[in-house]
Amino acid sequence: MAHLNTWQQLIYYYQHNGLYVWEQFSRHFLVSIYGVLFAAIIGIPIGIYVARNHHLADFVISIANVIQTIPSLALLSIIMLGLGLGVNTVIVTVFLYSLLPIIKNTYTGMSNVDANIIDSGRGMGMTKWQILYMIQLPLSLSIIMAGIRSALVIAIGITAIGSFVGAGGLGDIITRGINATNGAALIIAGALPTAFMAIITDTVLNFLEKWLQPAALKNS
Amino acid sequence: MKKFLTKLLILFSMMFILIPLLAGCTLPGLTSAQRNSDSVRVAATTSTESQILAYMISELIEHETNLQTSIVNNMGSASMMHEALVRKNADIQATSFNGTELTGNLQLPPTKDAHKATRIVRRELKKRYDQTYYPTYGFADTYAFMVKQATAQKYHLQTVSDLEKVAQQFSVGVDSIWLNHKGDGYKDFIRYYGFEFKRAHPMQIGLVYSALAANKMDVVLGYSTDGRIDSYHLQQLQDNKHFFPPYQCSLVVNNYMLREHPQLKSLLHRLDGKINLHTMRHLNYQVDDQLLEPQVVAHQFLVQHNYFRGDK
Repeated sequence: MAHLNTWQQLIYYYQHNGLYVWEQFSRHFLVSIYGVLFAAIIGIPIGIYVARNHHLADFVISIANVIQTIPSLALLSIIMLGLGLGVNTVIVTVFLYSLLPIIKNTYTGMSNVDANIIDSGRGMGMTKWQILYMIQLPLSLSIIMAGIRSALVIAIGITAIGSFVGAGGLGDIITRGINATNGAALIIAGALPTAFMAIITDTVLNFLEKWLQPAALKNS
Repeated sequence: MKKFLTKLLILFSMMFILIPLLAGCTLPGLTSAQRNSDSVRVAATTSTESQILAYMISELIEHETNLQTSIVNNMGSASMMHEALVRKNADIQATSFNGTELTGNLQLPPTKDAHKATRIVRRELKKRYDQTYYPTYGFADTYAFMVKQATAQKYHLQTVSDLEKVAQQFSVGVDSIWLNHKGDGYKDFIRYYGFEFKRAHPMQIGLVYSALAANKMDVVLGYSTDGRIDSYHLQQLQDNKHFFPPYQCSLVVNNYMLREHPQLKSLLHRLDGKINLHTMRHLNYQVDDQLLEPQVVAHQFLVQHNYFRGDK
């Protein structure tokens, strides 16, 4: 294949291995989504809780910060010791990395809601729960979603490294590109869908955020 | 405001309905690496040959039985693969070289006799780890020194001994595992051949060929089955003192797998002696030079031979 240039090689590669790339693509996508989803399920309630108990905020966020500072390959290896090889290790790693952006953004969003609005809500006789879902969540939604978006983009990058613990995904193609003779085309063949995935999911979440936004806030 | 709550509810229910659908059963969609009675996990290293064989085993099993398979890919080394099998993170080791197994995983003294090595490895793996060591696929992979054709002509290099006169100026690129191999590693090489190179650069085995082609190295130690020997037109130097033992390649299975699924035993035997050095080099070449995925190459090879159904 040396007679073809990199781009021709890339096209040739996709033509002959399309199905394989698609399999790895969906696998990669699922791993990232699962991790972020679990992080959202755990992280958003934590964020809400620390927003109400400010004295806990520093502590919780600094824990999430510490997790974030561990290099991804190191964290992956540490978790591998406990969970063994395979996808679950990667999902847990993605989960841990997604916690910080989600908790931090939820916390920031919740605590930046104008206290006067909450006060008027209370004046109207709203319960705590009503204040949460009628006032605080809608108003901090865009910030929370921004956290989930950045978590997902980070997750897609981390999943690519997951190929080193045998989890598969597009990282496999990139790793093979590093090992192959003329790997440039292979590296691009793996990296391009990865980048593409990040852009697509970010756009989709952007739409989602707009759709969720209460009508009253849309024009402001 | 009510609208917002409804939307939120719709969204969450969609997530919980859609994702399991998308995913199939438990978490999967991702054939998980957790131990599971009707799935087989095949371990492979980063080397092309290992991946082709892993996909071959995996497809053979999926095609001929109802079992599901998954590949535990990109293990950094043979010992990592071995470890994965011992800890039951994988069930089948796609490639196992008798020499590596003997000196690396079993920590036994090396032997230059391939048959003897296989015998010992088979016995010890069974005894220590309850694993079955299959007969070889039919090819042996040895380490081999190689140089560019131009270098070979310039210094009249044909055998490894010929390197002695130029060794002081030559940098050598080697597999990082080989440097500390016991019995046939770099230290033993120095003792056996009586010279050492200016500097030995450990690197990932896949990189040595391009390092040589890009003139970063003067001589490298690569694998004799590698398809890139052909595509870069490298000159392999003859191991005239027979330092490197031939490493015959086999697959290893954890015995619990064979007990649970007795049909696997004969199925895996179908690959015995089916792939010779020439075939392996060609398969490697298809992946490394022709840009085909190991999975695709393995599939084509199996279809071409009708999944070796002829000799059940």
